[in-house]
Amino acid sequence: MDLRGIVSFNAIFALLPILVFAEASVEGRVELPKSHSAPVMAKRYEIVTIGGVLATQPPLAVVYLDGSFPKPKSPPTKQIAQKDLAFLPSLLPVQVGTRVEFPNFDDAYHNIFSYSPAKRFDLGRYRPEERPIPSEVFNAPGLVVLRCDIHEHMRGLLLVLDTPYFIATDEEGRFRLSGLPSGHYMLKAWIDSKTTREKPVDLKRGATLHVDFL
Amino acid sequence: MMSFRTKLLAAMMLVVSALTILGLYLAQRTVAAGAERDLQVNFQAEVSWLHKVQELRHAALLERCGALVAKPRIHAALEDNALDLLYPSAKDELRDLMEGDEPSPEQAARTLHARFYRFLNNTGAVLSPPSPKDIGDLSADTEGQLAFKKLPEATQIGYLPESTDVAEKTVDEIMAVPIFSTETGDVISALVVGFEPFELAGQRTGAGMKSGIWLNGVLHLPGLSKSAQAYLGGKITNTVTKSDRAQSNFTVSVNGAPHLLFYERLNPDSLFPPAYEICIYPLADLMARLHRLRWQIGGAGALLLLGGFVASNFVAARLSVPVEKLAADSEKNRAQRERAEAALVSTSEELKRSTRYSADASHQLKSPVTVLRAGLEALLTHEDFKPEVYEELSALLHQTHRLTGVIDDLLLLSRMDTGHLQIESEPVNLSQLVEEWLDDLDALPDSLDVEIEKKFPAELYVAGEKRYTSLIVQNLLENARKYNRPGGCIRVAAHEKNDEVVVTIGNTGALIGRATQEHIFERFHRGSGVTAVSGQGLGLNLARELARLHGGELTLVRSDNDWTEFEVRFRAVQPAPSRAPEVA
Repeated sequence: MDLRGIVSFNAIFALLPILVFAEASVEGRVELPKSHSAPVMAKRYEIVTIGGVLATQPPLAVVYLDGSFPKPKSPPTKQIAQKDLAFLPSLLPVQVGTRVEFPNFDDAYHNIFSYSPAKRFDLGRYRPEERPIPSEVFNAPGLVVLRCDIHEHMRGLLLVLDTPYFIATDEEGRFRLSGLPSGHYMLKAWIDSKTTREKPVDLKRGATLHVDFL
Repeated sequence: MMSFRTKLLAAMMLVVSALTILGLYLAQRTVAAGAERDLQVNFQAEVSWLHKVQELRHAALLERCGALVAKPRIHAALEDNALDLLYPSAKDELRDLMEGDEPSPEQAARTLHARFYRFLNNTGAVLSPPSPKDIGDLSADTEGQLAFKKLPEATQIGYLPESTDVAEKTVDEIMAVPIFSTETGDVISALVVGFEPFELAGQRTGAGMKSGIWLNGVLHLPGLSKSAQAYLGGKITNTVTKSDRAQSNFTVSVNGAPHLLFYERLNPDSLFPPAYEICIYPLADLMARLHRLRWQIGGAGALLLLGGFVASNFVAARLSVPVEKLAADSEKNRAQRERAEAALVSTSEELKRSTRYSADASHQLKSPVTVLRAGLEALLTHEDFKPEVYEELSALLHQTHRLTGVIDDLLLLSRMDTGHLQIESEPVNLSQLVEEWLDDLDALPDSLDVEIEKKFPAELYVAGEKRYTSLIVQNLLENARKYNRPGGCIRVAAHEKNDEVVVTIGNTGALIGRATQEHIFERFHRGSGVTAVSGQGLGLNLARELARLHGGELTLVRSDNDWTEFEVRFRAVQPAPSRAPEVA
């Protein structure tokens, strides 16, 4: 709940200026892969690799509207924290050009780096009190696998998207994207590192389209 | 007598020699076995030490390599499609593997520093490094030997002959550690690290052991000359290809000196070509030591033998003295015994002869005497002789009676002498016997007028046969009367004492001279100067022999002061039950 709150809050916060002029919405459901672990009270999302595919556990999807949109003038700043030797959130969709901060909330060193083609970076070792908070700007779209050089089990996913219209589903796969421009687009659902589904959508002003990725 | 000493000496020397030889043999064997055991123990200790060190080193290397391949950056480079970052990342991550303080050559083998490393791609081929200088230069050929046809699932240990400019080829120990994807769990790569080989030489000085590695038919043993290496390499190749054994040893000749060679597979079950650890151990030292020991043992044996000889000589001399004396004495004794035996035999024969003679003579005499007596008795029946003639005939007849008595005595004696006489013992009332004989004496017609004193109970039973017991009593009583003087006295006393019946018969009259007292019991002995008395000198002898036959004894108690007294002892018995009512 905690995580979802942050995700929703971030999304709403990011889309707030657009929301005012929004004319179209999309809602629906993405069929998520079956969860492999039994549901627990305090749900945590973590990155699991099954057969070389990176996904969150329990599964989440990111739904976004693919298209050519203008880049934001002042990119928003987002955060992926390191808490209890894990990335939080473990999956973060951001728009290209977004600066992401990686605050360390553990009482230990972390060394965030990525060798992913979308972004290679290495923040070096730092402690919680490191200021300014180490951050990185992500200018190329793609999936960035976050690793910690000190804690080899830590994995985080940063989905850099070339669109301002995106949202993470809830754990049932439900989503709602509002304030979308009208027109003909491709609506995509990122499910895991190897699976992205897409559907063409015709968005009309004031209308709410229902799209399911089943 | 010398021969005994010589024999003893020879026997002792034989024993000493045998013991010495046995001792030497056993000592030699023990020493040889001990030396071999020592060698084996020593060798095994060396080898196991070597293996322990190697195992430790392998474990350490493995742990290190395992830790290295788990590094997130290496995984990131392999998994996040960033192979270009693999070697640069590794250079950072494996920095301490390659760098650090430059170890001295002696330490090199002990350290865990790698000489080179390479990554393999997912097909098992070597991923070429951008700058080989940083991670250990390898020739293309050598690098090619690191590749696998398929990535191994487990760590592989191998050996790599490295051709360098140095005259001697060295062998690197290589360890291929698979890298598993954290995403799929598959082997996605492998890290191959080359280390300085571990060398025993110089690690333990004094052991004399050299170790090297046999690989692909070539022996790499730096301590040996090239030709020796080639020769041994061929031998090991032969042995290893013929046998499946992972380890064994055999004796080889290196430069003309015997060596014990031990080999053991270094990388069993490895995908790399088989390599063998080779240890050679010079036996020359051991053999020299054994040789020296044998000489020492031989010397000790010779000394022992010499000592044994001297001691034997001494002991033989000491021992032979009493033995020789004993032998001489026994020889003398034997001669004496033989003489005594011969004498005994002749005496016995003489006795037998005389006994036989007595018996024969008695028998021969009996008939003529009977005839004589019959003739005399017949003459006495004639009535036409003069009275003097009758007197003469009576005297002659009396003499024939005496002669018959003598003959009877002689016969009895000879029977006793031959041991043919045996009495059938029964209770005999001695008192009654004595009474009867005293009555007979009273009845004798002579003028001696002897007074008889009696002092014995009415019944005294002794063990005997009546006729012979009676003969003893008769003899003694007759003597007491015969040698008495007119108006003399005979005293007969008897009593029982300590299961014996003691009878004393004393008489006045002629004494027995002191000189003759000890001969009176001899056969045909008669008191000197007592010619007036009739007798043949057989009576006392017969009486004593009979008394002894009765289990008793006859002795002369005294003969002085007009008194001569004999004592005869019998065994006292209880009266026969059948006769008890009569006695009662």
